[in-house]
Amino acid sequence: MMNGVVLGYTIRTSWKQILYWGIGLGILGFYIVFIASDEGIVQGYANLFESMPPAMLEAFGASDLEMFRTTEGWIVSVFVSEAAIFLSAFGVLAGLNITANDERSGVMDVILSLPISRRAYLLERWLGYALIGLGIMLLCAAITLFSVAMLTADTEADKILVSIMNIYPGTLLVMTVTCLLATILRRRSVAIGLAAAFVVGSYVFSIVGGSASGFVADLMEQISYFSYTHGEEIVLGTYDPVSAATLIVVALIGFALSIRMFESRDVGL
Amino acid sequence: MASASVIEMKGLSKTYGSGEGATRALDNLTLNVNRGEIFGYLGPNGAGKTTTIRMLLDLIRPTAGAATIFGMDVREKSVDIHRRIGFMPGELSLWEGRTGNQIIHYVASVRGDTKGIVKQAAEIAARLQLDTSKRVRDLSSGNKRKLGLALAMMHAPELLILDEPTGGLDPLVQQTFHEMMDEYRDKGKTVFLSSHVLSEVQAICDRVGILRDGDLKAVESVERLTQVEFHTVEVRFRDAIPAGLPQQLDALPDISDLSANGARLSMRLVGDFDPLLRAIASGYVESLHIEEPTLEDIFLAFYSGGEED
Repeated sequence: MMNGVVLGYTIRTSWKQILYWGIGLGILGFYIVFIASDEGIVQGYANLFESMPPAMLEAFGASDLEMFRTTEGWIVSVFVSEAAIFLSAFGVLAGLNITANDERSGVMDVILSLPISRRAYLLERWLGYALIGLGIMLLCAAITLFSVAMLTADTEADKILVSIMNIYPGTLLVMTVTCLLATILRRRSVAIGLAAAFVVGSYVFSIVGGSASGFVADLMEQISYFSYTHGEEIVLGTYDPVSAATLIVVALIGFALSIRMFESRDVGL
Repeated sequence: MASASVIEMKGLSKTYGSGEGATRALDNLTLNVNRGEIFGYLGPNGAGKTTTIRMLLDLIRPTAGAATIFGMDVREKSVDIHRRIGFMPGELSLWEGRTGNQIIHYVASVRGDTKGIVKQAAEIAARLQLDTSKRVRDLSSGNKRKLGLALAMMHAPELLILDEPTGGLDPLVQQTFHEMMDEYRDKGKTVFLSSHVLSEVQAICDRVGILRDGDLKAVESVERLTQVEFHTVEVRFRDAIPAGLPQQLDALPDISDLSANGARLSMRLVGDFDPLLRAIASGYVESLHIEEPTLEDIFLAFYSGGEED
């Protein structure tokens, strides 16, 4: 039975992460907005990208060069692609905090000797870090939007907000995949390695899949969670929120599997 | 003492790994622990004590067999069981960056009764001379154990499961711990305590189970174990050991481990004293020292292959 104590404890002991990550990413957002506020620099970059292969554009989260010619296009393309990488790192660290770190330190023995089921514990920890991740996104979005309001004019801030918040499902997925790996493998070091491989692999798939054509390239792009940030579609007004919902559903399925694995195995060996 | 079993283990087995690399940690353990008793679970490192305890807490799952606590299956009803028990692991790990008070509040909150439990934790901490305002990382290993004991006992559980509870505690605190265990017994509560400190088990336990290589070798009352009929005898003569006495004693069937050192003879005697007293009367006996077997002697007797179970 969930009573919220573990959830409260998780947030109480980790809320500073919202500040560290949120402000850190907010500063990145400010820096990118600052560059975007100079029309000459934006156009200069756009001209530079024009002479580069498509993979370079994909690395910045865009397939259309016109994205780099508007202020919001520039902010979304550059910021979302970079923030998604940083937030993937957060996802891995948060995923490890759900069970792996406590299990490795031995604290899990004390926790699971208390009247709380493994399921409730895992759920409250996962929810706690999911809320911390959301807090990071909101703080980083607030700083970035404040920077947009201060430094630019006639910029569609709502599109920037949606683009930033659209990183969240991918972050949730990385956190859940790491949690799942930790509940399956028990060995924290192996879980870290595989989670890192998942993030790097997804990133590579996203770039390669986006810059090439054909069945394999399409498949690679579809497999990668980076492909679902959809900054370009949001700016161009062709965004379909179903893909974000898909990532959340996949994350929830992964979390259900984590619970099943964690309930069925020995703990703390 | 009521006879109802609080803990029942039937054919409990645990094997780690599979195939050729499999390690059998516990084999077909059947054991009952009764309400109101302090049960000592004895064995050297690697005997299977911690494995047993971890299965009782549903941290690990048995390969075969089953266990119940308060009549409830440890797997099916673990949350209900954990509400009524207190546990301290042998290798205690706590949140290093938190203070004792913060951890006590957190654990009390999970238990669902912060106010009463925290007050009781403060009383236990005071008895154990523990400063709960310090961060765990600043506590000595002994003080961490004290905090572990406070966490295990603060909700006055019906059953305490303690894995090597007194390691690192100074003798005075150990004495306090023994008093607390006696109080537990007096209140009709049950303690399941693993240890390899035999004197501790001898001092506080009612019954003892001796475990070796995953096998339960014996379950006896401490009283019965200490009544095993052998004694260590040391005879000191005023002048010298009478000539031919060692050979004469050596021939007696009840005497073993005979050794001579100057005017002293020491031996292990099984059974009656009369043949020994008649034999040593040939010399002037300055002193006669008879020692009851310690649990350690008995423990070693079990382990040397001379098990009598």
